Amino acid sequence: MATGNPSVFLLTVNGQIEGANFPEYDNLYCKYCYVYGHDWTPTSGLDEGITQITCKGSQSNKLIWNFPLETTFKSTSPSGWPQLVVSVYGPDVFGNDVVRGYGATHIPITPELMLQLYFLSRLSIMYLLLLYQAFTDHPHVCSRAHVETSEVHKVITRVRSQGFVTVSFQIMTKDMKKLGYDTGTSNTQPYSADWSAD
Amino acid sequence: MAELHIIGQIVGASGFPQNSLFCKWGVHAGGAWRLLSGLKEGQTQVDNPQIGETAYWSHPIDLHYATKGLQGWPKIHLQVWHQDSFGRCQLHGYGYCHVPSSPGHHRVNCVTWRPLGTWQEQLAHTFVGGGPQLRSPDTIYSGADRYRLHTEAMGTVELELGIIMSRFDKFGVES
Repeated sequence: MATGNPSVFLLTVNGQIEGANFPEYDNLYCKYCYVYGHDWTPTSGLDEGITQITCKGSQSNKLIWNFPLETTFKSTSPSGWPQLVVSVYGPDVFGNDVVRGYGATHIPITPELMLQLYFLSRLSIMYLLLLYQAFTDHPHVCSRAHVETSEVHKVITRVRSQGFVTVSFQIMTKDMKKLGYDTGTSNTQPYSADWSAD
Repeated sequence: MAELHIIGQIVGASGFPQNSLFCKWGVHAGGAWRLLSGLKEGQTQVDNPQIGETAYWSHPIDLHYATKGLQGWPKIHLQVWHQDSFGRCQLHGYGYCHVPSSPGHHRVNCVTWRPLGTWQEQLAHTFVGGGPQLRSPDTIYSGADRYRLHTEAMGTVELELGIIMSRFDKFGVES
């Protein structure tokens, strides 16, 4: 069987949204989605999803979701490498779900186990109607708009970072070396999640 | 032509005298480098942290360069600014770091400095803020015009960068 030259490479993401550390809020759930460039397409797994609602344990401030992320992408170029965008929601005093924070991070490019800490931020002042429209309930629009809304809108937004979401990733790639891309091996230690900050 | 992908984020900043910070960043590369996709400069949002002292931005960087030579390897230069509750902006530091030159995941801490003026300007700075700024941002990443410039040490900006290199080994480059 002749092995032809591949024209696409695959990226498989196995991970989980482990949990969060939010000193001020409880009973939170999380909506996530992937944002990627034009060269990328998801081939299997879910592109977006929603976790269960969790509350803090009796011992500490930890909120645990343990939510699986299993997705495979294919692409012709590393440009537009997928980002995971996370939005955390919780109840306000009337029981309605309001957004507690947003965060985004790139999927790692090396296969080592990575713990990524997101620094969730909530917009404290919204200047533009466009941004206001982005905060509707549809998770897809909301998350994409947050990440892709651009440099222009980011310039005038003020946020307060008020918590962390810990996501662990392990990735595998197929045919990246055959296409000539060298991603090396990481020599950094993964973050240790600062759960002790209670 | 060899190609370089820079995929990562400007995580945040710590060690500055005040929080409520934002960062103007840019990437400068030599003449042999061509930017194929991605934005090579930008500005983060302003973050006023509620917990802890570190301001977090998580600002994504996704750049694709093609190059014919190793000279002028890309450098990321940063300006950290503070915005107060009245909306006034004040410079808190300049810094730069080279983009890592080996493939893989790197965590980079970029140190920053702020120009100091005369003692009168420093006195005014403690009361009303402000302070001298560089006329041209080139001095952030070049050593040419720094003779007799007095500066003060400021905080650190943390970046996480993933580097993917392509076809560098065909040109004999080892990294």
